[in-house]
Amino acid sequence: MQEGALNGIRVLDFTWLLAGPYATRILADFGAEVIKVQSKKISTGTESNVSGYFNTWNRNKLGITIDMTHPESRELVINLVKICDVVIENFSPRVMANWGLSYETLKEIKPDIIMVSLSGMGHTGPWKDFVALGPTVQALSGLTYLTSYNQGPPVGMGYSYADPLAGLFAALATLVALEYRATTGRGQYVDISEYEAMCSLLGPTILDYSVNHNLAVPRGNTSEHMPASPHGCYKCLGDDKWCVIAVFTEEEWHALCQTMGDPAWAKQEKFSSLLRRLEHQEELDEFLEQWTSNYTPEEVMNMLQETGVASGVVNSAADLANDPQLKSRGFFIQLHHPVLGNTNSDGTPIRLSRTPARYRRPAPLLGQDNRYVYQDLLGLSEEQFYQYIEKGIIT
Amino acid sequence: MAEGKDAVPLGLRVLDLTDEKASFCSKLLADMGAEVIKVERPCGDASRHIGPFWGDIPHPEKSLSFWHNNTNKLGITLCLESKQGQSIFLRLASKADAVVEAFPPGYLSEIGLGYEVLSKENPRLILASITGFGQTGLYKDRKSCDIVASAVGGQMYVCGLPDCSPLKPYGQQSFYAASLFAAVGILIALRERYRSGRGQNIDISLQEAVAATVEHVMIRYFYESIVPNRQGSLHWTNSACVLPCKDGYILVTFGREWDTLIDLLDSEAMAEDLKGEKWRDEKYRRQHVDRIVQVLSRWTTTHTAVELFELGQSMHLPWAPVSSPEEVTNNIQLKDRKYFIPLEHPEANASFFYPGFPVKFSGSSWNIWRRAPLIGEHNTQVYGGELGLSHEELTQLYSKNII
Repeated sequence: MQEGALNGIRVLDFTWLLAGPYATRILADFGAEVIKVQSKKISTGTESNVSGYFNTWNRNKLGITIDMTHPESRELVINLVKICDVVIENFSPRVMANWGLSYETLKEIKPDIIMVSLSGMGHTGPWKDFVALGPTVQALSGLTYLTSYNQGPPVGMGYSYADPLAGLFAALATLVALEYRATTGRGQYVDISEYEAMCSLLGPTILDYSVNHNLAVPRGNTSEHMPASPHGCYKCLGDDKWCVIAVFTEEEWHALCQTMGDPAWAKQEKFSSLLRRLEHQEELDEFLEQWTSNYTPEEVMNMLQETGVASGVVNSAADLANDPQLKSRGFFIQLHHPVLGNTNSDGTPIRLSRTPARYRRPAPLLGQDNRYVYQDLLGLSEEQFYQYIEKGIIT
Repeated sequence: MAEGKDAVPLGLRVLDLTDEKASFCSKLLADMGAEVIKVERPCGDASRHIGPFWGDIPHPEKSLSFWHNNTNKLGITLCLESKQGQSIFLRLASKADAVVEAFPPGYLSEIGLGYEVLSKENPRLILASITGFGQTGLYKDRKSCDIVASAVGGQMYVCGLPDCSPLKPYGQQSFYAASLFAAVGILIALRERYRSGRGQNIDISLQEAVAATVEHVMIRYFYESIVPNRQGSLHWTNSACVLPCKDGYILVTFGREWDTLIDLLDSEAMAEDLKGEKWRDEKYRRQHVDRIVQVLSRWTTTHTAVELFELGQSMHLPWAPVSSPEEVTNNIQLKDRKYFIPLEHPEANASFFYPGFPVKFSGSSWNIWRRAPLIGEHNTQVYGGELGLSHEELTQLYSKNII
């Protein structure tokens, strides 16, 4: 049997919602043994083990339960830490410390433990206790302000984009900490700020202010950093069907014109160079949309790509599920869940040639792996295990 | 924290053949101490022509996108299309841990530097390739760019106003997502190499990188047969949106903390009918979100963004002002955490504040200490020092336009 790239690495996973689970899912997909810690009390809503949301972000993980509010739960967690390589959490900064599980404490118990904290603002600074969800961070970073049509109020993104991106930083940081441990034999503490992560993804624009004092403004669908025209999103045949077209060079412009059958409007002087087209962008977009609206987005994409012009279908969820390219690469995967039945989700975009991700099992049911983790891994006897259950510690 | 002398750099040597799509991947590694050598064509990489520019003047040494995405790297030039250039690259690859590239699929093989050749030279080498649609599949040879990736990855369809066209998120987000996936992939392959002693190749598609970060989109489709649509700033859960205030905009939430929120409004006699019992039902609220937005925005417009931010946070509501890059640059939290890092540009006789690294390690290295390389800045250091080429050999390579 082929081994997973991260076999042998054990992660005690206190994360919840999206950013943290996204990070640990990557580790689990590549064979790390990720033990997700849940309590009955918070396993509701999107953290309910039988929600699609939960099942998507927690595949390949083991699930255990523990009531962290019980005074004797800490001892059990401490014993788990001793057999793990990484502890990862995305609570508010106070929470782990309140449970007596700060890095300082864990380090004394297991000197080479790696602890990763992912939070909205980071674990230091005047705002460290501020509460933040993905949209909070998107608003603070400038992404919401900048994502809008040319004039008009900020639109931003209507979902928690910052969470998966911060999760990627957390997965990367965890792996780097493991690398550090392999070299030095030491563990370490890792403090990740989701706010800072988003700012880093707007680097050139932030630098533009810091260096030039330029005030960036929303640019709609025009190309932010590289002159291109046409460059935008155009209506196509059908209900709410759209394509995008991006033309950076004269060669591409001529190819576009040719594909459209060299219409007279395109020959006008005002569209004769990139600069001129940028000056008459709106008019150009109207002409172009008259052409695209005769075709489906797939037709536009196929015709233009054929002649070397960057173009694409604006894929909805239904389009994505049937996208020929994603299909031919097997991007979506299926797992059978004991309650939800056959479930679908996206696989990982990280495609390793020799030790690819493997999709072994759906997300755990609440406490599904209590026996394996507490007895087989931790070595509790049947009697001890039941004592913990009776006391309400393992729930 | 480990920005100091005790920090242990990531012990990796990386050759960076990327353009704008993936230079952030090796930047991440370089910011954690990896030795990254950016290999550019003799006239400099095309990504040097991407703005914005220092002083607003387009110039290959003044691209702020290039500056941001290439901190801490060494820079050499090399003509990979020449036989001599290829053999020099193979020598560099024999000493490297990873190569990151963003050429069209098959290009490296065409010039005799495909994965098979590289791994024969150095079996431990990890090769990460970032392209618009991936190395395989029907569309692998198609052209992409940020707006195409955002569209085909399912991001644009759910961004924007309901009665307007789909909207691309700002700032080449698809490149950053793909770069992050690639960097994670390299570290995973590196861990595996301890066991097998062998490298492998990594195939990253911009389309998949975007599709893997659209959060709710596929979940709602697969589990509820819902095709999520655009609803402006309103979060898909119908429990957060951007509202106008006296002096700007504020992101407010109205999910779990409903009672707190209504108390706030009521204390200013602005809760209107939202005080009613039926509004305490989360499901009811989701179905009548328009009314909530209407009442709330009447209230938010009587306050400044900072007032609302402070008020909200004091009640543990995850609210925030919609901030501009200027406000980001002056933010006290970021400043307190020393997020912005001054970097010397000796040839400009200036120092500029850069966005720093969002991960603070207590042991590993993380910092930004060297500005992006000038074109061919480290040719002598790398070719002379690392490869041991003589002064004459270097002069000859220069004259042939190979470096």
